[in-house]
Amino acid sequence: MTKTKLFALMGASTLGLMMASHAVQAQQSGYLSFLIDNGPQSVAVAEAWVAAYTEANPDVTIDIEVRPGGGEGDNIVKTRLATGAMADVFFYNSGSLFQALNPTQNLLPLTDAPFQANVQDSFKSVVSAGGEVYGAPFAPAMGGGIFYNIPLYAELGLEVPKTWDEFMANNEKIKAAGKVAVIQTYGESWTSQLFVLADFFNVLAEVPDFAEKFTANEAKFATTPAAVRGFEKLQAVFEAGYLNEDFGAATYPDGLRMVATGEGAHYPMLTFGVGAIAETIPDHLQDVGFFAQPGDDAAKNGLTTWMPDSIYAAKTTSSPDLAKDFIGFIASPEGCDIRNEAVGATGPYMIAGCELPADVPPAVSDMLPYFAEGGQNAPALEFLSPVKGPALEQITVEVGSGIRPAAEGAALYDEDVRKQAQQLGLEGW
Amino acid sequence: MKQRTSIIGGFAAIAATFVVFVIPFLFIILMAFKDRQQSALRDFSWPNGFHLFDNIFEVVKTRNWMMITAFINSTLITVVSVTLLIVFAAMVGFVLARRKTRFNGLIEFLILAGLMIPPAVVPTIWLLQGLKLFGTLHGMILIEVAYNLPFSIILYRAFIATIPRELDEAAVIDGARPLDVFFRIVLPLLWPVTVTNIVVQSVGIFNDFTNPLYYLPGNGNATVQLTLYNFQSQFSTAYNLLFTNILLITIPPLIVFLFFNRQIVAGMTAGAVKG
Repeated sequence: MTKTKLFALMGASTLGLMMASHAVQAQQSGYLSFLIDNGPQSVAVAEAWVAAYTEANPDVTIDIEVRPGGGEGDNIVKTRLATGAMADVFFYNSGSLFQALNPTQNLLPLTDAPFQANVQDSFKSVVSAGGEVYGAPFAPAMGGGIFYNIPLYAELGLEVPKTWDEFMANNEKIKAAGKVAVIQTYGESWTSQLFVLADFFNVLAEVPDFAEKFTANEAKFATTPAAVRGFEKLQAVFEAGYLNEDFGAATYPDGLRMVATGEGAHYPMLTFGVGAIAETIPDHLQDVGFFAQPGDDAAKNGLTTWMPDSIYAAKTTSSPDLAKDFIGFIASPEGCDIRNEAVGATGPYMIAGCELPADVPPAVSDMLPYFAEGGQNAPALEFLSPVKGPALEQITVEVGSGIRPAAEGAALYDEDVRKQAQQLGLEGW
Repeated sequence: MKQRTSIIGGFAAIAATFVVFVIPFLFIILMAFKDRQQSALRDFSWPNGFHLFDNIFEVVKTRNWMMITAFINSTLITVVSVTLLIVFAAMVGFVLARRKTRFNGLIEFLILAGLMIPPAVVPTIWLLQGLKLFGTLHGMILIEVAYNLPFSIILYRAFIATIPRELDEAAVIDGARPLDVFFRIVLPLLWPVTVTNIVVQSVGIFNDFTNPLYYLPGNGNATVQLTLYNFQSQFSTAYNLLFTNILLITIPPLIVFLFFNRQIVAGMTAGAVKG
C-alpha cells in the first residue's frame, strides 16, 4: 500500500470510527486488507467470510491478498511486519512460529476483545506472548495420526489397531495380500516427521512431564525410551518392507491419492489432508478413515493434536476497531458455519458454540471421539515447548529410509535441538 | 565416411534438443488439457478429455481476473525497464570506454560490486518507503533497472571498445553535438549488443519472481509469475490450472521471439563477423 493511500484510508477509517462510536451496535465501515496464504481452502473460506461480512456491513471494503506458504511465506510475513507494510488482518501459524514474529512489538493485542470469551484456553495459550492474547482460530483443530483405506480394511477383515503390535500385524496381512501397507512420501520431506511427531501422545502417557524437562534440557529424545519409540517405529516400517516402492520420491499429493484409492493402506498424516482429498479425489472421500498413532498399551490410546493456525491484526493497522470486529466475526459460531459451508469441516472447532455438520467425512468423524468426553488427546510437542529443531525432517528421512538407525537419529536430533534452544536463549542449554 | 558421421552427429543433436526443449513443453501442453484428477498424477499420458478451454477460462478469471492485470503490469515493467536499461547502460558504457580518467578504476569497481553484492530486501523497502515508491510500478521498474544495470554496462563497454574512435571524431568534425554523436552514430552501431541486451534482460525481467513478490505487494500489482501462486500452494496444487497458467504466460515471450527471430539472429551474427 502506498503512503498516500494509507493516509486516505486513515481518514476514512477515523470517520468510520467516529460514526461507530456514536451509535452502539452500529454497522462498521472502512477498509481492511486481509493477507492469507494461497492454499485453495484458505482462499475459499476467506472469500466466503469477506462476502458475508461485507454483506452485513455494506460500508466496509475488504481486500484479500494472497501470499505463498512455507518458507517463502515466512519471509514475506516477517519482511512486511519489519517494514510496517503488513496488511491490517493476516493469517499465520500459531505456536512456535508465532513466537518468532516478535508479537509484543508487531501485533495488536486482542486479549480484551469480547469474542475471546468463547475461545478455548488451550488455543489461547499458543497465541499468547507477554501476558497478552494476539490471535483467533482460523481453522478447526487437527490431529496427527494415520489415515487408512476403509474398503481395504473391510476386504481383508482388519480392525483399527489400538497398539503398535496390532498395527504391525495388520501391515503384515496387507503386505501378504500384495498391497502397500505403509505409504511414505519423502519427496516432500516434511511428511516424514509424522511417525515421530504424532507419537507424542504416547510419550506423554509414559513420561507426563517430558515437555517441561525437554525445554529445560533435562530430558533427551535419545535417553528417554518412550521418545525413541517414534524413531524406532519409523525404522520398523522400513525394515519390514512395508513401504511403497517410490517412497523416496513420492510427494504429499501422491500419498493422499494412494491412501484414498486403496493403492496403499496407511498414510501417517495430519487430518487437514481431508480437505485436499475432498478437493482432488472427492469420489474417494468416504473411503478414508483415521486413527491415532498406536502406542504400546491399548488402554492408553490417544491422539496427538495440532492447534489450528490463527488470525492476527498488525499493530500498524489504521483501523484497529474494524480489524477486531472482523476477527470477532470469523471467531464466532456464524464464522464457523460459513467455513463449514465453504470448505467443509475438517475437525472440531476451538470456539464454544461452533457445531460440526452431521455429514462430516469419515476421517473427521473418526477423530471426534478423541476430543469428546472420555476421549484422550494431548497437544503436539511444538505447542508445549518452544524447542523444535529445524533438521528433524532431514533426520526422519534418513531414519525412515534405513540410512541411519533410530537411536542415532534421536541422538542427532538432540544435537539439532541444542542449537535452536541456544538461539532462543533458554535456561540450562 | 566423414559425411555419415556428421549426419549421425546432426541427428544426435536434434534428438538432444528434442528431449531437452520440446518434451517439457509437450508435457506442459498435455497437462493443460487434463482435468484436476488426471493432472494430479503428473504422468506423461494422453488427456482423458478436452478441458483446455475450461482450464483457460478458470485461470484467467481466478481472483477477479488477476491474470489480465498481471499481463498489463508485467508488460509495462518489462518494456519500460528494458528501455531504460539500454539507454543508461549504453551511455555509461560509452563514456567509460571513451573517456579515460583516474576515476575509471573506482567506477568499474562499483559496477562489479553491483553485480556481486546481493541486495538486501528490508533496507531496500525502507528506502522505497522513504521515497514513497514502495508498492508502485515505477518503484518496481527502478528496482529492475538498478539490479540489472551492471550486467548491461559490462556488455556495452566491451563492445564499444571495438568501435573505432575515428567514427566519433568524424561526426564531431561534421558538426554533431555530443548527444548526436551518441544517439545517431554510436547507438545504431551498437545494435548487435543491444539485441543481446533486450533478449537477456527482457526474459529475466518478465520471468522475475522474487523481486515483485517482495517489492510489489497488493492485488492490483500482481505480475504474471506471481499468478502461479494462485494454483500452487504448500499442501495442495491444481496441476491442470498451474500448467495452463504456465502455458499462457510462456506464449507471449515465445511469440515475440518467433517474430523477432530473424533480427535477433542477424544482430548476433553481425556482431560476430565484425570481430
